[in-house]
Amino acid sequence: MKRIFTILALIAAILSIILAVLPVSNLAIFPAVVALLFGLIAFYLSKKTGSVKKIIQFIFLLTIMSLALTTYKAVFSKKEVTNTQELKKLEKESKENAIEDLEELDLDDISTE
Amino acid sequence: MKKLVVFLLCLASFSNKAQKNAIAAGEKLTYTASYNMSGILTDIAEVTMETSDAKTSKATLLRLKCTATTYSKWDSFFKIVDLYESYVNPKNLTPYLYKRDINEGSYYKFMKYTFNHKTNTINSIQRKKNKKEEQKSFSINTGTKDIVSTLYNIRLFDYKNMSVGSKKSFTIVFDIEEIKAQITFLGKETISTNIGKKECYKLSISSSENVLQGKNNNLLWLTADENKIIVYGKFKIPVGTGELKIKSAQGLKN
Repeated sequence: MKRIFTILALIAAILSIILAVLPVSNLAIFPAVVALLFGLIAFYLSKKTGSVKKIIQFIFLLTIMSLALTTYKAVFSKKEVTNTQELKKLEKESKENAIEDLEELDLDDISTE
Repeated sequence: MKKLVVFLLCLASFSNKAQKNAIAAGEKLTYTASYNMSGILTDIAEVTMETSDAKTSKATLLRLKCTATTYSKWDSFFKIVDLYESYVNPKNLTPYLYKRDINEGSYYKFMKYTFNHKTNTINSIQRKKNKKEEQKSFSINTGTKDIVSTLYNIRLFDYKNMSVGSKKSFTIVFDIEEIKAQITFLGKETISTNIGKKECYKLSISSSENVLQGKNNNLLWLTADENKIIVYGKFKIPVGTGELKIKSAQGLKN
């Protein structure tokens, strides 16, 4: 039983740390909570038998790291668009082509200003 | 007969006044688009809606431009650079030219519609990555608009005099197909936005196709002032649910 909870907690902690480094970092909270929960159960069961293994402490360390990284990214990472040059170029070209197309159209119902 | 003509002229002038009051060139609205990922709303892209003049030798049209670009942290995973444009009559937002240039990950699609309102037809050009250009001509109903001009056209309705539950129908042409859509006025609601606390007109949008899912899952909040700008939106589409929140508004007419 103790081993199952330790394995599950370790898997959840690894998943949490992977998600934390990805752009979807806020999703890391779910496996982190699971890792903490299973880790605590494993810790409690280990304590009962008298020997707490280092792996459980490692699981807590991983979980805390992922939660810290997730919180940092949520608070400090800026939402910004950096690929504006590409879009500006596309917009400019598109407008030039559109004007050429519009010149060929019958726009009698729009008055010239 | 004379009375009828006078009445129609009055109606037309009122309608034009309403249209001119809401939208003008030089307006720029910026939004944050969020997508629901496993129950957590994640900001993924910036959406802008911008108006400007487009001058030809014959006339000055209004260019309605919508762009969607992913925030830089998503670019290495799934980069989106979308451009939607509609060149419309500034008086009644009737579209003459519509262009859609979408670049999403490895998917690319270009679509161009040239409207002919005398014959009620559209000449379309479609380009896809590694595929031949497709040209097609098809008929449309009177009053059919593209998606961009429809989004702006929603702002021209007179919500002040609409009763709760009243509906407005319109037809949108999208992917060489006409889609019937309907907005239902759900009343007024005051909401907090990035540009302040705003009293809004709450609208529900539904479509004949399965593009917009559910009855009251697609909602729009338009400011209950003369500008009637979209400040908040909730949507449910086949690939998930999300939100659109206003970030900034510049160059508003009123």
